[in-house]
Amino acid sequence: MKETVIDAHRINKTYNPGTIPVHAVDDVHLHLRRGEFTALVGPSGSGKTTLLNLLGGLDHPDSGNIVINGTDITTLGKRELVKFRLHNIGFVFQNYNLIPVLTARENAEFIMLLQGWPAKQRNERIAQIFREVGLEGLEDRRPSGLSGGQQQRVAVARALASKPQFILADEPTANLDSTSAGNLLDVMYKLNQEENMTFIFSTHDQRVIERAKRVITLVDGRIVSDTAEVSVAAAHKAGE
Amino acid sequence: MMILQLAWRNIWRNPARSLVIILSVAIGLFAAISVLALYDGMLNSRMRTVIDTETGHAQLHHPGFRDDMEPRFVIPDRERLAHMLASDTLVRSHAFRVVTTGMLATAGGSAGVTVYGIDEQAEVSVSRWDRRFDDSIPRLTAERSIAIGKKLSRKLDLDKGDKVVLTLTDREGNMVSAALRIRGIYETSNAPLDEVNVFMKDEALAELLGVPGQRHELVVICRSDDAVPQMTQALKAAMPAMQVESWKELSPETDLMINTVDYYSYIIVIIILIALSFGIVNTMMMSVLERRKEIAMMTALGTGQRRMLSMIVAETVFLSVVGIPLALGCSWFTVDHFHRKGLDLSGMGKEMMRSFGFEDLVYPSFPSDKLPAIILLVFLSALLASLFPSWKSVRIDPARALQK
Repeated sequence: MKETVIDAHRINKTYNPGTIPVHAVDDVHLHLRRGEFTALVGPSGSGKTTLLNLLGGLDHPDSGNIVINGTDITTLGKRELVKFRLHNIGFVFQNYNLIPVLTARENAEFIMLLQGWPAKQRNERIAQIFREVGLEGLEDRRPSGLSGGQQQRVAVARALASKPQFILADEPTANLDSTSAGNLLDVMYKLNQEENMTFIFSTHDQRVIERAKRVITLVDGRIVSDTAEVSVAAAHKAGE
Repeated sequence: MMILQLAWRNIWRNPARSLVIILSVAIGLFAAISVLALYDGMLNSRMRTVIDTETGHAQLHHPGFRDDMEPRFVIPDRERLAHMLASDTLVRSHAFRVVTTGMLATAGGSAGVTVYGIDEQAEVSVSRWDRRFDDSIPRLTAERSIAIGKKLSRKLDLDKGDKVVLTLTDREGNMVSAALRIRGIYETSNAPLDEVNVFMKDEALAELLGVPGQRHELVVICRSDDAVPQMTQALKAAMPAMQVESWKELSPETDLMINTVDYYSYIIVIIILIALSFGIVNTMMMSVLERRKEIAMMTALGTGQRRMLSMIVAETVFLSVVGIPLALGCSWFTVDHFHRKGLDLSGMGKEMMRSFGFEDLVYPSFPSDKLPAIILLVFLSALLASLFPSWKSVRIDPARALQK
């Protein structure tokens, strides 16, 4: 049995509770294990990003608990949450969100610097991750000198470099052409396989859904289907 | 280190905007330093005028003399005192004077005056007597000669060669008068004094007052300004029964002005820096709001409040201090130029300047002693200006900002 990374229990998030309430996340239960390559899918407004924000400790649920590696992040204060995110969670954003005044290398090592990695280990890790994501030779370029796909690979390198517990990726291929998106998916899939890194995507992209090992579908903030449950049910059935 | 590097690069994201702020800080500081230099120059000039032409470094009187200027309060043992001063290495020059008050009358009017009986030769070395006139020929050679100020000459419509009647009270309390001829009309940078001070030959005045051979006032000029306390102590020790006062006691308003103008200077600098701070706050606010998403991303990735605050404070401080060397360089060159050539303020109102006892040609001096305080004030204003943008940056909600 694989180790549980995320255990979300009956989490709710409602926007505009005083006026017209919008149940962005409605009574969601979720268990994610190490090494999963999971896609959160659903129509716009279904609560994918809100759920990712909650799982990433960027937002607080109105109720429910989110336990990550044994820590209930809903009980953490703002400062503790920042520290928790720094050491446990990697983020990949739709718009890359690189720091434009830093080079690709500096962007990638940003989190490692915050964590205080020694220079030697940092250099080795950056060299390794740049090889893995195919950015060798582009280390000294600033984001403005990189294509969209390359920028997103830098963002992935940044998220992966410090070896977090899991990566949250919000529509990572949305702004990429099909070749770049395919390459990026290859990179992430390879890292998932080789480094047993846990990935959770929110996505509309069919290519991501096709590569995902587990697909969770959200509608109006509720989980309406989860392929993991289907697999478990199928396994049970097969066992009978 | 990374945060400082990031802050430095951040200020150059919008070079035009940053340059405008850096230049405005530089211009503001240049203005502040120039004002301080001008004040320093004016005060130095005023101090020199007081010492070199009005009071000397120190004066000695009979303790009762300064109350009513009664002629009987003369300085005793003048010969011994003169001998002592001549051999004192701290003293550059000295002069004795006869001093009294009186009334100067003409056919057209009269005016109350302070009459100084002087030895012209000795007076040159203690009050630059010769520089008060257009030429340097002696004026008080004849017994019945008098020199008056330009302002008084205008007031009483007098000119050289005119006759005036001076009425005084002598040692016995009797009214005495003398008809005198105007031999010189002088002008100094202190117009109010030019209106009341008139000068006669010392012995002629002493005889009029019934104190022949006696003097009321001793003026001493030291070899340096720093020697004044030591010299006054020596003088007090030598003449314990006499009243010895330094120029600061004789002209307390000048001393007060020197002591208080520093505070006013700093107030001006603070006002300039506060005005600049608003510009810096505005720029930093624009910079923070433009980078909302990026700051949210940094927070999401685990950049703590302390690091975020440090980055914004560092950006603000960089913006504020980059202009300092430019301001110092420009102000040093400008002040140095005018320090050598002089800054002619007569266009602003020669009469007005002189009515306050100031020269109209000012030699500004670079306020090196005040620079540490000015630079500290710039840092403080930068820190103050960074408070609001820093607070805004840590208030950004990463979840909301990243969604937009």
